Amino acid sequence: MMDRVHKAKIVLWSVVGLALSIGITRYLFGLGVTTNLTDATPWGFWIGFDVMGGVALAAGGFVLTAIVYMMKREEFHPIVRPAVLTAFLGYIAVVVSLMVDLGLPWNIWHMLIYWNPHSPLFEVGWCVMLYTTVLLLEFSPVPLESTSRYARVRTFLMKFRFPLVLLGIMLSTLHQSSLGSLFLIMPFKLPELWYTPWLPVMFFVSAVGLGLGMVSLESIISTYLYRRKPETHLIAKLSKAAIWVLVAYLVFKLGELIAAGEFGRIFSGDWESNVFILELLISAVIPIILFSIPSVRSHPAGQFIGAALIVFGMAFNRINVGGLTMLGITGDAYIPSWMEFAVSAGVVSGAILVFLFAIEKFNIWESRPTEPEDEPHAAAQFDRTTEVWLGPPAVAGRTKYSMAFVIALAVGFALMPGKRLHSSGVEQVVAQQARGGDTLYVDGNRDGFGVAFKHEYHVAKLGEKASCIQCHHMNMPRDKQSGCWHCHQGMYASFDSFRHDWHASSRGANLRCVDCHASDLERGAASSKTCDQCHKDLVPEGALVKVEQYMAPSYVDAMHGLCVNCHQKKLAELPEKPDLARCTTCHETSAPDHLSDDMKERWSGPYFNRVVLPGRPAEGQ
Amino acid sequence: MSTKAILTDVTKCIGCLECVGACKNTWHLDMEVPRTWQKNDGLSADNWTSVLQKADRHYVRKQCRHCLEPACASACPVGALHTTEMGAVVYDSDKCLGCRYCMMACPYGIPRYDWDSAVPYVRKCIMCYPRIQEGKQPACTEACPVQATIFGDRDELVAEAHRRIKDNPGKYIDYVWGETEIGGTSVLYISDIDLGFLSYQPKLPTRPLPETTATAMKSVPFAFVGMGGFMLGLNWIIKRRQRLQGGTNEEGGEQS
Repeated sequence: MMDRVHKAKIVLWSVVGLALSIGITRYLFGLGVTTNLTDATPWGFWIGFDVMGGVALAAGGFVLTAIVYMMKREEFHPIVRPAVLTAFLGYIAVVVSLMVDLGLPWNIWHMLIYWNPHSPLFEVGWCVMLYTTVLLLEFSPVPLESTSRYARVRTFLMKFRFPLVLLGIMLSTLHQSSLGSLFLIMPFKLPELWYTPWLPVMFFVSAVGLGLGMVSLESIISTYLYRRKPETHLIAKLSKAAIWVLVAYLVFKLGELIAAGEFGRIFSGDWESNVFILELLISAVIPIILFSIPSVRSHPAGQFIGAALIVFGMAFNRINVGGLTMLGITGDAYIPSWMEFAVSAGVVSGAILVFLFAIEKFNIWESRPTEPEDEPHAAAQFDRTTEVWLGPPAVAGRTKYSMAFVIALAVGFALMPGKRLHSSGVEQVVAQQARGGDTLYVDGNRDGFGVAFKHEYHVAKLGEKASCIQCHHMNMPRDKQSGCWHCHQGMYASFDSFRHDWHASSRGANLRCVDCHASDLERGAASSKTCDQCHKDLVPEGALVKVEQYMAPSYVDAMHGLCVNCHQKKLAELPEKPDLARCTTCHETSAPDHLSDDMKERWSGPYFNRVVLPGRPAEGQ
Repeated sequence: MSTKAILTDVTKCIGCLECVGACKNTWHLDMEVPRTWQKNDGLSADNWTSVLQKADRHYVRKQCRHCLEPACASACPVGALHTTEMGAVVYDSDKCLGCRYCMMACPYGIPRYDWDSAVPYVRKCIMCYPRIQEGKQPACTEACPVQATIFGDRDELVAEAHRRIKDNPGKYIDYVWGETEIGGTSVLYISDIDLGFLSYQPKLPTRPLPETTATAMKSVPFAFVGMGGFMLGLNWIIKRRQRLQGGTNEEGGEQS
């Protein structure tokens, strides 16, 4: 009987475990590690799907209570409890998602004391808080009826059911529409196909349609999982109602576009118009067509497909308005990270698990599903040596769930991209075409962290071929070219080499100002220590050459400082070595014979002191 | 107290980044972590102003525009962002809950976020509010060696901008960026190149952005009461009709 539920629960528990690992990481390291959100796309999948979509998906609660308690359609009574429960869990899921998405979730209660009534978000926040409370009070008689202990509390609550339902409907009207008001302030960002002053009304009407779809979908799936008789006749009625709501939505939406003179924009064929057509097809057009056919409407499969399309289509609408369609205008390349998807899936899975728990423990349906048994082939356990009966394998199912949960939790931590966790600062760049290609991997201090150096870009930037000498010439440090710092020696731009911020940051070198700058002088490079005063490794132990500035000595300085001094001292001990103490050992007074006439002529010019190193032909200019 | 403003003359800027450095030093801004997948305009949680390099040696300083009627302050649910009597739009990190609605609402894309922090805040230029309260000018305008960006009363700077355009015919585009769009901003620009790239839309309307939500927010009480009244009325009519039909559903639901 329960095999479908067991399989579903194992999957759901794994997803929850995966999401929990990411949630923990997010709390420890921040949103930057777990999401791909950027400054141009500060609202991503979590807001678009979890919050905007979640609130809309929970609309089934107020729609069905309105039908049953306000319009007195008592035949829908059997599905009111699951609908209210779905709504309640939906709002809890929204709050949980917010606790992950908000930057400072522990300040969420600030909305209670700091008021800004101009903000639609302020109103949404208050309505969601109040409505979640109302839903809790609406639903709490159900768990309370399982024990006689709280019978009086239950009767007390039941007295207030009608006003609670009414209040719930009123609050839902407000915040379902105000979710649309959130985007009224962004006419510059939201494409005109979605942007309209009527966005709040649009959101409310679509929420009603989505609510009907969600109640149907939730009923179909839960009856499937527990192998119960589907409530086909009720869902057929809901589907019929959904047609009218969706038609109203469609007419309103297209009518608004025609009135605004933007109707032709739908068929302009660009990315936004295609998304708009797709959204309209799955959220309204196809469900209307499907549900208009009586045989489809009264068949569980048809009902499932239609309801699923509404749910996905309307969730897609919320994602579109919530940020997806803004990418064209902001020019941002936001693709949610897998961790964002996993957290969203985990929140939904958690809500479903609580829903299944409630169905098994309380009278959500007219009759409870049979007691959760374990798989039929799980035999009773005996201790093999003593033949003592160890009892029925009552925890077998729970053990599997825990296993799935813990394994997924571990897998989540294992999959966490270490690159993101550790690479605060310069990112490690994979060497692409290390030699000969355009992008070179330059690792100046040999610590394994480098930068991708775009050679062609620099050539173009510095003035084509004539610019070679700006970086490549002999009198420069050991790598035969100028260090990056030579040009990038500022300290404010992101491409600068000396990271002043890093040196001052508590996450970096954690230095006080006076550690480098003389305290009584004005701060600046002049009053600062040089790099080698702290970074002693720049100069080898016992070197005679003292580094003037930031880098290792050039060839010339090294030769004159290290080699010549030493050779002079040890000239008597090592007569077989070249006499480097004499300048003419290297510096020729006349041009060598092998040079061309042209080069010989130049020899006497500014290149007079040019040295021809052993084993290295003079560089042809 | 009159509204203060900053006027940036793009034709005068030499791109030396002194303003950026002064800002960094004044506010002790932190190490900048490059976010390679993000479109980079130089601004970040640790860079409150930046200098954009445009064609033909044009340098355009980007910073918070300090709108007279800021969308960010209107959007903030707890009023963490708010205007001050001097025109600076400032941020109260103690109130913030991190919803990032301000970042969504800003037409210039100015507020930035501490993405890599476990305790992140919204960061943006605050026009050196503590400094201007003391009567000093912001660090950036003080640091500018060529007076390309200057600080003063907004009325005077608007007049100055128009005077410069008038006195140098042909040198500037005849437009003061920030004078009227979205209700006016306290950071003004005059330029010889189009500065439409500073905002998400090249041409912003003059209507202040908070007004776009005002109608919806004003109708909230009416929607609330209206829906309640509608439901009660509907309920009364349907109940009455059912009673007239035979009174079967008299007590209306012992079950919940």
